[in-house]
Amino acid sequence: MAQKIKIGDVDIQIPSINFKKFGGLIPLLVILFLASLSFYTVDANENGVVLRMGKYSHTTMPGLHFKIPLIDRVYPIKVDFQSKLEFGFRTLKAGVRTEYSKRNFNQESWMLTGDLNIAQVHWIVQYKIKDAADYLFKVRDVENTIKDVSEATLRLMIGDRSFTEVLQAERRAIADAAKIHMQEILDKYETGIAIKMVQLQGVLPPDPVADSFNEVIRAEQEEETLVNEANQAFNKEIYRAEGEAKKLINEAKGYAIERINTATGDATLFELVLKEYNKAPQITRDRYYIETMNTVLGNAPNKVIVDSQLENFLPMMNLKNKGSK
Amino acid sequence: MKQTIFLIIVVGVVILGFGSIYTINETEQAVVTQFGKPVGGAITDAGVHFKTPIIQTVIKFDKRILEWDGSANEIPTLDNKYIFIDAFARWRISDALQFYKSAKNEMLAQSRLDDILDGAVRDEIANRTMVEIVRSSNRAMIIQDVESSSVNVNNKVIEDYSAKGARLDIVESILESVSKRLLDLNMGIEILDVQLKRINYTRQVQEQVFNRMISGQNQIAEKYRAQGQGKKQEILGMQVQRKKEIISGAYLESQKIKGEADANATRIYADAYGKSPEFYNFIKTLDTYSNTLDSSTQFILSTDNHYLKYLGK
Repeated sequence: MAQKIKIGDVDIQIPSINFKKFGGLIPLLVILFLASLSFYTVDANENGVVLRMGKYSHTTMPGLHFKIPLIDRVYPIKVDFQSKLEFGFRTLKAGVRTEYSKRNFNQESWMLTGDLNIAQVHWIVQYKIKDAADYLFKVRDVENTIKDVSEATLRLMIGDRSFTEVLQAERRAIADAAKIHMQEILDKYETGIAIKMVQLQGVLPPDPVADSFNEVIRAEQEEETLVNEANQAFNKEIYRAEGEAKKLINEAKGYAIERINTATGDATLFELVLKEYNKAPQITRDRYYIETMNTVLGNAPNKVIVDSQLENFLPMMNLKNKGSK
Repeated sequence: MKQTIFLIIVVGVVILGFGSIYTINETEQAVVTQFGKPVGGAITDAGVHFKTPIIQTVIKFDKRILEWDGSANEIPTLDNKYIFIDAFARWRISDALQFYKSAKNEMLAQSRLDDILDGAVRDEIANRTMVEIVRSSNRAMIIQDVESSSVNVNNKVIEDYSAKGARLDIVESILESVSKRLLDLNMGIEILDVQLKRINYTRQVQEQVFNRMISGQNQIAEKYRAQGQGKKQEILGMQVQRKKEIISGAYLESQKIKGEADANATRIYADAYGKSPEFYNFIKTLDTYSNTLDSSTQFILSTDNHYLKYLGK
C-alpha cells in the first residue's frame, strides 16, 4: 500500500513499511544505542573528569569506563602533556633549524633590574596539568593566568638583582626562584597546574645598547692581547738574558780552571826543578847562568866589551842602524 | 475530544516539569529572579535545582576565578620618575546575589574594578620611590663598578640601590586597599590577588637610561684599554729589571769564580815558590833576561862583569 505525495509535477512515492515486522527490533536498537553511550575510553595520557548533571562526580584514569547516558558528561584532560609558553620570543617552526619570529617582543622582554637598568630577558615556562578538576573548574582562562603570573614573577626576580648579576651569576637562581614563586601563586588560585620548568633562554642587554656591551668585550680582549704581547716580549728577552748569564758564568768557570791548572803546572815545574837543584845547588846555578848568558848574548849581534881599567870612554852608538838590525 | 484534552495536559505537565528543573555546572553559580526581583539566596552548588516554572528566571554567573587586566598607566613615582605600570588582578564573584544587585553583569563589574584598581595602584606607586617599586628586598647586589675605576674622573651621584625594596609590600598594600573598598561597596566581589606585571620607563626616560648604560659601558671599555696599556708597560719595565738582575747576578757570580780561582792560584804559587824564595828569585831573573833581552839589545860589557871574569886573565 504505497502513499503518493504530489509536489509540483513530481510524484513522490513513500514506500510503506510494515512496522509490525520490525516490532521486536526497535527496542533492541534503542538498548544498543544507549549502551554505546554508556561507555567511554580515557586515553593513556589523559584523565576523564565526570560531571553528573553538572556536578563534579569523579575523575577516571586511562581505560574503559561506564557512565550514565545523557546524565553524565566526560571531559578528557591531557594531564601528562607538557605545555610550553615562550616569553620575549616566539618559535615559528620548531625543528632541526628552528625558526623564530622576527617581531620584537620588547614589551614582554625588557625589564628593569635592581640597579634601574634595562635587561632583555627571554624565557620559557613548561607546565603540566596536575589536577584535572581544579584545572577545569577553578579558574577561567588558565593559560592566560600562567602568562600573567610568569611575567609578574620574572620581573619580581629581575627587579631584585643588578644588571650584572642578571646577565651572569644569578641566572640559575632567578629561574629556580621564579619556578617556586609561580607555583605558589598558581596554587593559591587553585589552577591545578604544576610548573615543571622555568628556564632563562637569553639574558642580554637590550638592542639599543648591545653595541656598547660588545665594545667592552672587544676592549677586554684588546687588553688581554696587549698583556699577552708584552708577556711574549718579556719571555723572549728573559730567556736571552738567562742564556747570556750562563755564558758569563761558564766563561768564568773556564777562566778559573785555566788559572788553577796554570798555577799548579808552574808550581809543579818549580818544585820538580827545585828538588834537583837542592841536590847540587852551585853547579845548577852556574849552569843556569851560563846557559842564559849563552842565549842572551848569543842573540845579540853587537857586543862591546870595555876594559874596566879604562879611564875615559865615550861609547859611540850608531843609532841609525838600530832600526834596520 | 477527551483524548485531545488529555494530550494537552500531558504536554503542559512536561513543559512545566522541564521549566522547573535547571542544572548548575561546577563553573557556575546562579541567582533566581521573579519578575526581575531576586528570590532567595545565590545558588552555588553544582547539580540539579528546582524553581517555579515560567515566572522565575535563572541568571547564571561564573563561579571561577576571573581575570582583570588593567591598561598600562603612566604614573610619577615619589622620586619623580615617570613609569608605566601594568597591573593585573584575579577576582571572583563571592556573592552572586549582591553582585547581581549592584553590578548586574561582568562587563560592568570590570569597569568598576578598573576605577578601583587603577586608583589604588596610582595611590600606592605615587608614594614610593623607583627603587622601592622595582626591588623586593634589600639584598646586596653586585654592581659593575664603573665609578671607582681610575679612568673615570667625573664623579656622579651614585643612587642608593640598597634601599629596602618594597614590591611585595606595595602589592600587599594595593590588595588591602582594594579589598577594603570592595567590602565598603558590597558588590559581591572578592579580590584575590594583585600583581604588578610590567614596570617600564616612559620612552624619554628609557632613552636616558640607555644613554647612561652606553656611557657606562664606554667607560668600562676605555678602562680595559688603558689597563692593557698600563699592564704592557709594567711588564716591559719588569722585563728590563729582570734582565738587569739576571745579567748583573751572573757578573757577580762570574767575578766570584774568577776571584776564587785567582786566590787559589796565588796560594798554589806561594806554597811552591815559598819552599825556596832564593832559587825562585834566581831562576825567574834569569828567565826574564832571556825573555826581555833580544837581538835588538846592544850590550856594553865591562871586563869586571862576572860573566867575563875569565876573559881578563
